[in-house]
Amino acid sequence: MEYEEAKQKIVETLTKKLKTKSKFYFNDLAKILESKPREAKKVVNKLVQEGVLEYWSSGSTSMYGLSGTGKQAGAEGEDKEK
Amino acid sequence: MAFISSGYDPKQPMKDRITDIGPRKFDEFYPPVIAKNKGKWLYHEYLQPGVLVHVAESGDEVYTVRCGGARLMSTGLIREICEIADKHCGGHVRWTTRNNIEFMVDNKSKVKPLLDDLKGRKFKGGSFKFPIGGTGAGVTNIIHTQGWIHCHTPATDASGPVKAVMDELFADFQDHRMPAHVRVSLACCLNMCGAVHCSDIAILGYHRKPPMLDHEYLDKMCEIPLAIASCPTAAIRPSKVEFKGEKVNSVAVKNERCMFCGNCYTMCPSMPLADTEGDGIVIMAGGKVSNRISAPKFSKVVVAFIPNEAPRWPRTTHIIKNMIEVYSKDARKYERLGDWAERIGWERFFEKCELEFTHHLIDDFRDPAYFTWRQTTQFKF
Amino acid sequence: MAKHKTPMLDQLESGPWPSFVSDLKEQAQRRAKNKEGVEFQIPTDVVEDLLGVLELSFEHGRTHWKHGGIVGVFGYGGGVIGRYCDQPEAFSGVAHFHTMRINQPGGKYYKTDYLKQLCDLWDLRGSGITNMHGSTGDIILLGTTTPQLEEVFYELTHNMNQDLGGSGSNLRTPSDCIGSSRCEYACYDTQGLCFDLTQEYQDELHRPAFPYKFKFKFDGCPNCCVASIARADLSFIGTWKDAIKIDQEAVQGYIGGEFKPNAGAHSGRDWGAFDIQKEVIGLCPTECMIMDGKTLKINNKECNRCMHCINVMPRALRIGDQRGLSVFAGAKAPILDGAQMGSLIVPFIEAEPPYTKIKEEVIEPIWDWWMEEGKNRERLGELMKRQGLQRMIEVLGVDPDPRMVQEPRSNPYIFWKEDEVEGGWDRDIEEFRKHHQR
Repeated sequence: MEYEEAKQKIVETLTKKLKTKSKFYFNDLAKILESKPREAKKVVNKLVQEGVLEYWSSGSTSMYGLSGTGKQAGAEGEDKEK
Repeated sequence: MAFISSGYDPKQPMKDRITDIGPRKFDEFYPPVIAKNKGKWLYHEYLQPGVLVHVAESGDEVYTVRCGGARLMSTGLIREICEIADKHCGGHVRWTTRNNIEFMVDNKSKVKPLLDDLKGRKFKGGSFKFPIGGTGAGVTNIIHTQGWIHCHTPATDASGPVKAVMDELFADFQDHRMPAHVRVSLACCLNMCGAVHCSDIAILGYHRKPPMLDHEYLDKMCEIPLAIASCPTAAIRPSKVEFKGEKVNSVAVKNERCMFCGNCYTMCPSMPLADTEGDGIVIMAGGKVSNRISAPKFSKVVVAFIPNEAPRWPRTTHIIKNMIEVYSKDARKYERLGDWAERIGWERFFEKCELEFTHHLIDDFRDPAYFTWRQTTQFKF
Repeated sequence: MAKHKTPMLDQLESGPWPSFVSDLKEQAQRRAKNKEGVEFQIPTDVVEDLLGVLELSFEHGRTHWKHGGIVGVFGYGGGVIGRYCDQPEAFSGVAHFHTMRINQPGGKYYKTDYLKQLCDLWDLRGSGITNMHGSTGDIILLGTTTPQLEEVFYELTHNMNQDLGGSGSNLRTPSDCIGSSRCEYACYDTQGLCFDLTQEYQDELHRPAFPYKFKFKFDGCPNCCVASIARADLSFIGTWKDAIKIDQEAVQGYIGGEFKPNAGAHSGRDWGAFDIQKEVIGLCPTECMIMDGKTLKINNKECNRCMHCINVMPRALRIGDQRGLSVFAGAKAPILDGAQMGSLIVPFIEAEPPYTKIKEEVIEPIWDWWMEEGKNRERLGELMKRQGLQRMIEVLGVDPDPRMVQEPRSNPYIFWKEDEVEGGWDRDIEEFRKHHQR
């Protein structure tokens, strides 16, 4: 899959799901991309570099979301600081 | 205060960015005697509690003075450690896995001035800054987690109980009278970000109440699917709740399934579970990680609950002190606390340590529980 | 004059053990005085407020911190833990109080110029409060505001050649014991292997793509000073295959009382004269030692390398020369399904740079398996339990070895695979009926 196509797929799918949740496990992203974790990681890393995706961490677990989305980010004012 | 830029440009985060360089390489920091003799050490000896000598094939010696430290440490104190290291150790110092500080010198004549210097340093409040000890068959420093100083799910404090317990065990930090070494550890909740589950004595913070539900804000602050997914026992489900005459989206918790881990609070700040009466300490005993004589083993729960008694946790410290006293009198040389308890039998352990055996101490959590029940006629009255 | 009254904390200033309360109070005063004229980038009274909020927790018996989802600096998915105070008005200095994890050097050896530089940085841009060290091994810088995170990272990488450690679903900062740098028991260079793997797997350390956390820890010998077998997903424990080296003269030195047993570790009590029969030979778990006249003999083939005899007589007994390490997999703290110790998956592997075999034949196949089949938030040990040790052996492509188990199974419920059974599972019922009536 080309990078642009992959990006579109991720953005579309995650946007659709925004109504219920904004954060996703890495495995969810790999499934959307229909690729092996190591291949998916290259795409996901690039999406983070470009600012399309951002990380969220519970300290022990990491998740991914579209940049600037999510209720907790708003509550903590982290979106404003960026 | 005026903002001072490091050179970082928030508009161009990738400009001149350096990443993935890892830690500094260990050998940049080796003292010369270590660099020279690495891999060529012959033997070591404890000259007194807290003082070791290692002798190399070359005949070189390195003398180490070990000091206890609170792992919570200010830059002011680190600068003082640097001053000592500059004065005595050629600008080298190290820490141990158990939060002890080690000053190393390459000649016996340098040991006494170092010891004298360290002994004289106290905080204004009166405690030692650098107590010497923590070696051999004694009680070494407690490894611990953050507690109330920084964590969001602790059921007890960490630095406070550690200070209280180490004050009580202080003589044994500076002595070698135990049958074997005694490792005490503390984790402030059951997630155990400091793995304490294989310690001679483990102090574990434990919540006993399921989370509260802040229905008014829950859907505004949290993403409900994430709160549900965070629960390791699947005790949380979505729920419509009547709040001030309005139906709001929220969650419901099956309280009897809750294991009080706080994972939901991490994902959802509207589900706090900390509670003054609910929270407290579990004491576990008899674990070890070393493969010496017997295999590594887990610590077992010997006291199900002690309330938090800030600031000095007297019941916790008393129980630990007593357990160590009984062990030190009754165990054989080289016998770890867990090996001793197994030899005399846990029924005898509870009797000797004067600890009550309650139903909470019988395992009922999933498959492994069965393997802890008694399946032999070999027991003691 | 302190900003907040702390009557409960004050009670932790007495007693001999180093008081963190005294340290914090003295630090608060140093910041207030600011003798060096530092242009503090976060509130000057941050330590006062830290003491204040801790006192409140002592009063309430409850924490006053909230978790924040902030993860790190741009492009990194770990290394920072977000923290907010739930009483920000009363304690504005610690309203935002994020942690940064700094990847510690091997063996936790330092030069003071490095530490002073770190202190300067943290006084300027943070609270000046640290943990030396966190449970995983990192240097923990405790408490700064969001805008300072990138600034600290920039200075660390540009001026100190120093990177962040790990948090979240990634490779956590690997840590090691003192190893051969100062310990005669070390069977391999723990710091060498730890550093090499840390550098090799920087991407895994900073950019989380694992189902959950993953830990490497390195113990130089079976004494396990860094507790790898209890807490690392992959635990590397030094060992040897050949004979323990014996210095018979030194053995006599212990018997004669010239050398103190266990290197003097029992000096605080009179345990009586050293008795080699009782203290060493009698405690050997495999009973593989005897005294033959004045000669100590070890049946090395039967030795399981528990270290006891070596620990008791370090001047007389030394580890063998054919050295390497054993790999254990799947250790973890109790949550959720109970604690797990590491299980032996590789009895022996050589540990010489560039460690290609360890990387390509152990670590990477295991990661591929876990990344593909691990569920969200499933540690390696839990995947092993779910799919079995046999699956792990298959992943590694190694032969089963009785060393990998404590005992063979005690139930016969073997799930035979079709290709393991002669003729397969397709049978002709008509042929069967020729000899067996309905």
